[in-house]
Formats: sequence, C-alpha cells, structure tokens
Amino acid sequence: MSKPPEPILQIKDITKIYPGEGKSTTVLDHISFDVYKEFLCIVGPSGCGKSTLLRIIDGLDKPTGGQVLFHGQPITSPSPKIGVIFQTFALIPWKTVLGNVLMAISSASIQKEEQLKIAQKYIQDVGLEGFESSYPKELSGGMKQRVGIARALALQPEVLLMDEPFSSLDALTAENLRREVVEIWRDPAYPTGSVIMVTHNVQEAVEMADRVIVLSARPAKIVDDVKIDLERPRSPRDPTLYDLADRIISKIS
Amino acid sequence: MASYSAGRRVSFFTKIFVGGIAVVAVGVLIAELLTGAVAPDCSPQSIHPLDPLCIPGYAVRTLARMTIAYAFALGFALTYGIATAMSHRASHVLLPLLDIFQSVPVLGVVPVVFLIILGTGANPPVFNQEVASIILIFTAMAWAPTFGVIAGINAIPIDIKEAAHAYGMHGSRYLRQIVLPAVFPELVWSSILAWGGGWYLIPVEEHLSFGPPPNQTQVDLPGIGRYIALAALKADLGLALFGLIVLVGIILAIDRLIWKPLGVRAEKYKYETVAAPRTTATRQSSVVAGVRRYEDRLVSPVLTFFKSERYYAARVLEITRLKRIRHITERLRFPERITRIPLWGRLLSYTIFIGLVILGLIVTIISRSQSIESGISLLATDVTAFELVVITVLSLSRLIIAYAIALSWTLGAGILIARSQRLSRLLVPIFDIGQSIPATALFPLVVILLVDPFKNSPYLGFTLNLASVLLILTGMQWYLLFNIVGAVNGVPNDILEATTAYRIRGRRFVKEILIPASFPAILIGSIQAWGGGWNALIVSEYIGPNANVPGLGSFLVQASTRNPALATVEIYASLLVMTATVLIINRLVWRRLLRKADRYKFEA
Repeated sequence: MSKPPEPILQIKDITKIYPGEGKSTTVLDHISFDVYKEFLCIVGPSGCGKSTLLRIIDGLDKPTGGQVLFHGQPITSPSPKIGVIFQTFALIPWKTVLGNVLMAISSASIQKEEQLKIAQKYIQDVGLEGFESSYPKELSGGMKQRVGIARALALQPEVLLMDEPFSSLDALTAENLRREVVEIWRDPAYPTGSVIMVTHNVQEAVEMADRVIVLSARPAKIVDDVKIDLERPRSPRDPTLYDLADRIISKIS
Repeated sequence: MASYSAGRRVSFFTKIFVGGIAVVAVGVLIAELLTGAVAPDCSPQSIHPLDPLCIPGYAVRTLARMTIAYAFALGFALTYGIATAMSHRASHVLLPLLDIFQSVPVLGVVPVVFLIILGTGANPPVFNQEVASIILIFTAMAWAPTFGVIAGINAIPIDIKEAAHAYGMHGSRYLRQIVLPAVFPELVWSSILAWGGGWYLIPVEEHLSFGPPPNQTQVDLPGIGRYIALAALKADLGLALFGLIVLVGIILAIDRLIWKPLGVRAEKYKYETVAAPRTTATRQSSVVAGVRRYEDRLVSPVLTFFKSERYYAARVLEITRLKRIRHITERLRFPERITRIPLWGRLLSYTIFIGLVILGLIVTIISRSQSIESGISLLATDVTAFELVVITVLSLSRLIIAYAIALSWTLGAGILIARSQRLSRLLVPIFDIGQSIPATALFPLVVILLVDPFKNSPYLGFTLNLASVLLILTGMQWYLLFNIVGAVNGVPNDILEATTAYRIRGRRFVKEILIPASFPAILIGSIQAWGGGWNALIVSEYIGPNANVPGLGSFLVQASTRNPALATVEIYASLLVMTATVLIINRLVWRRLLRKADRYKFEA
C-alpha cells in the first residue's frame, strides 16, 4: 500500500464575516477542504462568496477565522508560486502585452534577459505571437484573457487560481479557451499541478474539473464534493456531463 | 472598528467647525438685537467700517450681488447652451467662442468693466458701482454652467431622443420634459464651480480705486470682500482673519445646505449610460445606502447638519466630491470637440471675439471723448512691444515655479492619500475646506505677513516675488490635488488586486501604477490650475504703489492709474496678450498631451 499523497493546499475552517452597521454578514461559514494535484472547480449561486474564498486562498483577503496552508505553511500574502487569472482580465492599459506579462515575474530575482525569454515563451504558448507590443485596448476579449493566462503561467506557478475566467467572453471564444486551458494543464511540460477555478457555470465546471466543490447560498457551506472520473479529452456535448450538471444544480437550488 | 472611529473623528472636526460658525452667527445676531438702539454705522462713509456688528449686513449685501449675478449666469447658460447643443451649425461658432471667453482671465476684465460702466468720475453713483460689480461676478460665473448645459444635452442617449420624436414631442414640450431634466444634474455641479468663481472675485471687486491719483475713481461697496480688504489696508491681522473665517463659513454653509443636497437629488436625473468611476462593489453599495439615508433627511436640511451621523456625512462628502471631479472631467472633453470644428467656424469665432474687443475699445474711448489714434500712438511711444514680451516672460516664469511646487506637493499628497485610508479620512476634509477659501481672500493675509514687515528692508524684492509665487500657488494647487486624488481613488479594484497578487509594491507600485494612472487627471488639473494661476497672477504682482514686481499683472493694474487714454489701450493690450498666451499654451502643451493621455485611461 502506498502512502496517501500530501495535499498541496489545505483550506482549514475558513470563515469570513463582513462587519456592517448594526448586523454583520457571514459570507463563508467554516469551509474546509484539501487540494491535491488536480483540477478543482468551486461552484455556487452568485454572491455566495466563491470569489472571496479564492482571494483568501491567494492571500489577497484575510479570513475572519481559519487558515490556508500551502505545503504546510500558512499563507498570509500572495506567493510567487501561485498565479491568478481574473474575470475582468486586470490588464494595465498603459503596458503592452509583453509589459503585462513581465509584470508578474519582474519582482522575482531573475536576470532581465531571462525574464524577457520566459515572457516571450508564454506569450507564444497562448497563441499571441506577434502581439507583444500591442496594448490591451487593441485586443479582443479572448485575446485579453490569453494575456492574463500568459501572465499567470509566466510565474511558472505550482497552483493556478482562476476567478470566473470565461464569464466575460462570448460563448465560442470561451469554449476554445476552456479546451486550451485544460490542454496546458495536462501538458507535463508545465509545472502547474493544481488548478482551482471559481465559476457559477456548472456545465463548465463538470466539463473541466476532476472534482467539483458545491457551495450553498450565503452563508456559504460545502454542500457537496463531486468526483468527476470521465476520461479526457472530454467533449462538452457528452450526455453524462449533462446528468452530472443536473445533479449539482439540484443541490444548489 | 478602527475605520468607524476614524470617520467619526473627521466629522467631529467638521461639526465643531460648523457649530462654531453657527454660534458666532447667533451671537452676533443677539448682540445686534440688544444694541439695536446703538446700531453701528456700516455705510461706506462710516468711520468704523470694520465694526464686527456690520458683518451680517455685509454678508447679505454680498450674497444679494452673488445671487443676482447667478440668476443672469443661469439664464445665459441655458440660452447659450441650448442654442449650441440644438443647432449643429451654430455650435461651430458658439463652441470655440465659449472656449476663448473662458480663457480670458476674469480678474483681467475688472478694469475694463469699471472703465465702461463707471467712467472716470471721482464718485460714481452707487447704482453704477453695483451694476459693475454684478457684471463682474457674472463673467466669473457664466462659463461653467454653459458647459454644463451643453454636456447635459449631449448626454441624452439617442434612443431617448428617438422615442421623444416618435411620440411627437417637439418644441417647448421636448425642452421641458427631455432637455431640462437632462441638464439639471450638470447644472447643479457646474453651479458649484460658478459660485466658486464668484467668491473668487468678492475680495477684489468690492473695494477698488483706479485712475490717476488726483481724481481717482473709487469703488466702495459694503460687503464681506470690502471688509477683508479694509482690514488688510489697516494691517489688522485679527480683523482680516475674522472676515476670512466668516466668508469661508458662508461658503461652506451654502455648499453643504444647498449644493450637496441638490447634487444628491440631481443624480436621479442622470442617464445610466454615463460611466461612473469604478469603485469596489462594497464601497459603492454603502455609498448608495448613505445617499438614501441622506435623502430621507432632506426634509429638514438644517437638522441634517447637526443631528446626522458623522459616519455617513463623511461618506456623502466623499461621493459629492467625486461627482464634482467627474463633472470637470466632462467639461474638459470639449477641447477634443473643438479641434474637430471646421476652419470657418474657428475663424468666425476669433473674428467675433476681436470685434467685441475693438467695440469695447471704441466705447471706452469715445465715452471719454478721445480719439482712438491718439490712444494707439500714445501706446507706441510709451510702451514697446518688447516690454510686453519681457513682462510676459517674467509672469510666465512665476507661473511655472508655482506650478512646479503645486504639482510636486499635490502628487505626493495624492499618493499618500491613496496609500492610507486613515490619512485620507483626516486630510480630505481639511483640503476641502482649504479649497473653498477663495485664493484672493488670502492676499490680505500675505500682504500683512510678507510685505508690510519688510517695507524698508533690502529683502523686499525677494519677499514680494515670494508673495507673488505663493499667491499664484493658492490659485493653482487645489485643481491639481482634487484631480489627482480622484484619479488615484479611481484605479479599478481588479488592477489593484492584480498588482498585489503579482507582488508589485512600494516604489514600483507608485511608479508603474499610481503615476501613470493619474496622468490624464494631472493634465486636466493642470489646465484648470493654469487658468486659476493666470487669475491669481493679476492681483499677486501688484500689491501697492510701492510694493509690486514687474509682470503682466502689475502692468495691467498700473495701466489703470496712468493717463486715461493710454490706460484704455494698455488695459486692452495686456488683456489680449494674456488671453493669447493662455490659448497658445492650451493648444501647444495641454491639448497635445491630452491626445496622448488616452492610453492611460481605464476601460469602462
């Protein structure tokens, strides 16, 4: 019998309460789970605190109670081993594509030339070759999110966090980008082992994930933790996916 | 709950301030009632014109002048604005003309108006003095609401216009039901600016003398501005400060009691398509809640003042300021439109402007029964074009120094405010009060502190230049500060999170994020600041016959004390040079940079 693998991330008893005038709002209610080398999706009704949870995992937000352990060490501020992709892309308008990607790695102690090489490699990998000196305003939504993905990958992160990465895109672009993201994650050339993606699109979650964590409406609690053992590559039109999605949706509503 | 207590501290400060003014006002009123039998003599001939008991009467007179001028400005704005916005052809001329008009430094108009209305008699009738004063305040008030009306009409979405036409709304019905409601919010925000412009003139235009010394024309109107000016002449620091505090109290009271509630109400009339500055969702919702509570209390605005929770008062203060900044931003979009106007329109508008100047020149000179030629030939012999260039350069260098100081401190303060919520809560209300003090009202204080003590010392030249730069600074800095603070607060939350997630901190954060993000705001603030600076320049260079520094401003003021025929031509000449310089700098520097600024804007 082999030893069970060590979890990469441990989310321990996370609670988040927003103080208000008079009464406070509990957003996250004692959330605990472990993350291994896997593609994990967190789904839940809108406004349930999924994004807050993701921000806490990255150290962008502080929990009211509980902690997040990364290889056993508590996370208090953003780590260079964790990359983030935003729903609104969060590109700096006055930096070029190259500048936006470089921004992620420029605080690391790597030589300038090496930084440039890394940035260019990932810009190529997401299919943006030739757009290095374009500004975000000149790009379409899908291309902007590709910049966001290249920026996160350039960190060569162990964990990739994605906050509704496809909700600002049109349906066709989103479908293509979903497939590409899964391919990149499965490619052994990339060091990224764990992906945590937050989404309210259950169909998208079952299509991409190995495991789906289902949160309830506010205050969010874990209502289900679903393993998805379907073979990859998966077709988004696979009927078993619809069945799985239906089961999850019935848990939420 | 640290944030709550910080908010409390701030409004506690405001409360004490406002409360203090109320107590003083009530005290003065009671004192006046008690001493009713021995009411002070507050007429211009009085031997004790600085009796503090005269203050309520003075305030009423000043306010009456402001209100009348505002009514005219409002009428002008609606007529001119609606004409500009409704007729495409008319806008080709009216827009650039408006741009020229607002580039004329208002204080430079003072001698011209006085020359036209009052002539050179030693004691002009009080009625004429009042008329001249109201016209002056009007010139300071008219432009902002006009731009506001145009912006408001332009903001009407096309579908609304089409719907109105589809349902047969034409003429006055369209005006009443579509145009006026659309214009209302812009009108409120620009009225705040207009009143600010009016207050700026008050300390200057109520007590003035010009003309050659033996038979000087004296303007002497009872009012708060005259009170401050007289206190300064007597070098009475205490009374000058007292007048200043009363003036600021009145300004703040009007701002809080009239404009802010009106502004909150005006937001209901806004079309949703107008992009609001992006703040975090949580911040926005609490602002909305604050506004709602604020509106509930509109029934008794006075009670709002003293009873309201400090927490939300500070909140409302914050949004109204943001709105004001946004209004200004919209107003500054006009330069872009003006560049797209056909050449004929531009030429025609310049011709009209120059025609008006010539007309004014003729009217003034004829009214003094002197020929134009003698005036112009006098100008040629008395002052060379070279001299005008030299003094323009001298004035410009003062403006540049003041601008450099203003830009560096406001950028620093803006960054500090952005980095620390606590500092922001502490500093912003202080800055708010600071900017509500009309820069001209500070002049007497500067004279008392920097000029009088050095009268007979060799350092006078230095202190005079210092005083001049300082005064220009007071006219410049607030525009920059509030624009920068607005920009720094307007950095979208997702960008902030991305920079945190990718660990861009400290100096890099300032250099790569904050400064580029405030670049468009710095430009916009700079245009306004230079406008304010030119205005301040006119009074800052000439403090008295024995206390002045060479420059365009003192040239203009001194011109009015010379030979009358020469004076007229000189006044017009310097006014034209000043307007031309403002227009050239706007075109060569700011508009070019503004075109580049597009990249630094966040997408809506």
